[in-house]
Amino acid sequence: MAEPIEQIMQVNEQVAFDVKIAGEGEPVVYLHGAGGLSWDPFLEELSDHYKVYAPHLPGTAHSSGLEHIRDLWDLILCYYDLFDCLGLESVTVIGHSLGGMIAAELAANDQSRVDRLIAISPVGLFHEEEPIADMFAMLPDEMIQLMVADPSSSLAQKMREVPKLPEERIEATIQRMQNMQAAAKFLWPIPDKGLKYRIHRIKAPTLLIWGDQDRFIPLSYAAAFHERIAGSKLDLIEGAGHLVPMEQPAEVIAAIRRFTSTLRASSR
Amino acid sequence: MKFVAFHLMPYRELPADFEQNYPSVWVTPPKELYDPRKGHRMYHDYLDELEFAVDLGYDAVGVNEHHSNAYGLMPSPNLMGAILSRKVRNSEKTSLIVLGNSLASYNPPIRVAEEMAMLDVLSGGKFIAGFPVGTSMDQNYAYGINPAELRERYYEAHDLIIKTWKSDDILMYNGKYNQYRYINPWPRPAQRPHPPVWIPGGGSVETYDFSITNNYSFSYLSYFGHKYAKKVMGPFWERNDELGADRNPYKAGFCQIICVSETDERAQIDYEEHVRYFYNKCLHVDRRIAEAPGYRTAKSLRAGLVSQFDGSYKSANQMLKEGMTWQELIDQGFVVAGSPSTVRDIMTESLRDLRVGNVVCLLHIGSMPHWLVQKNMQLFAQEVKPHLSSLFSEWDHTPYWPKGYADEKEKVAQAATYP
Repeated sequence: MAEPIEQIMQVNEQVAFDVKIAGEGEPVVYLHGAGGLSWDPFLEELSDHYKVYAPHLPGTAHSSGLEHIRDLWDLILCYYDLFDCLGLESVTVIGHSLGGMIAAELAANDQSRVDRLIAISPVGLFHEEEPIADMFAMLPDEMIQLMVADPSSSLAQKMREVPKLPEERIEATIQRMQNMQAAAKFLWPIPDKGLKYRIHRIKAPTLLIWGDQDRFIPLSYAAAFHERIAGSKLDLIEGAGHLVPMEQPAEVIAAIRRFTSTLRASSR
Repeated sequence: MKFVAFHLMPYRELPADFEQNYPSVWVTPPKELYDPRKGHRMYHDYLDELEFAVDLGYDAVGVNEHHSNAYGLMPSPNLMGAILSRKVRNSEKTSLIVLGNSLASYNPPIRVAEEMAMLDVLSGGKFIAGFPVGTSMDQNYAYGINPAELRERYYEAHDLIIKTWKSDDILMYNGKYNQYRYINPWPRPAQRPHPPVWIPGGGSVETYDFSITNNYSFSYLSYFGHKYAKKVMGPFWERNDELGADRNPYKAGFCQIICVSETDERAQIDYEEHVRYFYNKCLHVDRRIAEAPGYRTAKSLRAGLVSQFDGSYKSANQMLKEGMTWQELIDQGFVVAGSPSTVRDIMTESLRDLRVGNVVCLLHIGSMPHWLVQKNMQLFAQEVKPHLSSLFSEWDHTPYWPKGYADEKEKVAQAATYP
């Protein structure tokens, strides 16, 4: 089992990333969703197979400089700066939800920096006829109901836990709010920041992973991403909602390994 | 002492089961509940009430801005200000205050400089400009402004408006959110360099500093009255002293629900129903849309959470939820109600205690009918206000209040002699 090391990397004058690094082998970058990054069983197992770089979104954990990032375009450039610091010229990028949108933008904007794109239930497209619910106007339990396939699962129960000590509760609340605040900067008020104008530029081999019971970003969005990214592959994971990597980590890792090994064997 | 007759212009006829069966008074109240025919009547009653306040000699009449809000039917307070300016211009005593325009949502923000200059000219230099950040419900949820940008947009708009007002040149502005080559709004304001500015705000040090260092008047606009306001005005004055500013009471104001009747008993009979309508229905806000992530800074958030979790503080909403009797509403200061002498006594004590020179008086509350508002306004103006007016008279109110055209009248007359 790999324990991640944590590194603060000043990537430009304004922005520093807090990056968790673990594992050996082929490098992959993992970009977390709006709920923030925690070193969970999924990342632990991922680092058994790859060298995982997992940066915290600016404004969360010890990543700083969010106030200097004006918009999504600035944010994308910061991630390229981070790749430079990590010595990653072209790398496999795995992104979940908000991280999936960022990963897709990274692949669309500079085609040379992302050699494989793995987007797990990404946001980024928006259809008024089947809108994605407003994650910034939800009570905590409503959020859980919408995010996981089985709201009575142990994962869901764990998400409901509230720390006993007042100080811990305050810290947990602040941390949650900071995660949401940083996410809102790039998703408010509708999680569509123009990917639809750029998505056709994604040329990297792409794997889309979706929980077959995702109630937050319905399957019609999986179809839309699949259709708009030429040659993309779509894997539906059974028994998973929106939090696929947390709900079915083994299945997701198997899908990622199949994808990366096939590509290695055939096209690379 | 200065008293503003202030109006929220609420919808008076929300259904009896509103708070049980409808989601929220703000952001998501179903539009079907709004009957434009009734709305027509309400608008004109409310404007009549504010015009009546001018007749009664209130120091100002005031309106404010809300969006998608059934208790605040003024998405554009400047429209109401324009109507009121016709009456205010002829008044010796009454100014006009828009409290105010939520700067971040005006695009371009020069619009505020323009419209407020119009109001200042229309009213004869009797206009007070309010610059609120705006609530999260209004700004983030109803108007879609990114919470991460709200305060920056607010400060940039403020900077732009003040620069525009202070200068007679054609300006350029290259900001983060605003870029203009030709800033040259006509008209310019009647008051030079610009109308007094009031900042309605909550209890953040950032807002105190902004207000005090710019020589603006800070108003704490809560619906929970004078005791609650102490939690904010106490720290405000502490901060004021830290900054070494003068202690002029007119740099501070607060909002108070006031209900005056012939006797204390009669006040309960007259007003309780309408006060309950206000607290139960008008403050029925869905907590899903009460605060967007990023609306408050992490620092303010932490301060709020600490007092919430350590039990040192019970929020006004909690108290209301647990149920408050009429007497408790009075004892807790949410409402100042009773006979003229009761109201006088409570007001005198609380104004001294808070050290505020301006009271934003809510004299129309919730579902109050027109006749009762008139009664309330008249009793307060005639039986209460005269007894309080001399309070803080040793201080100069003019940095925070318009002087009107009194000294300009002459200039206008002189100018008229030159064809």
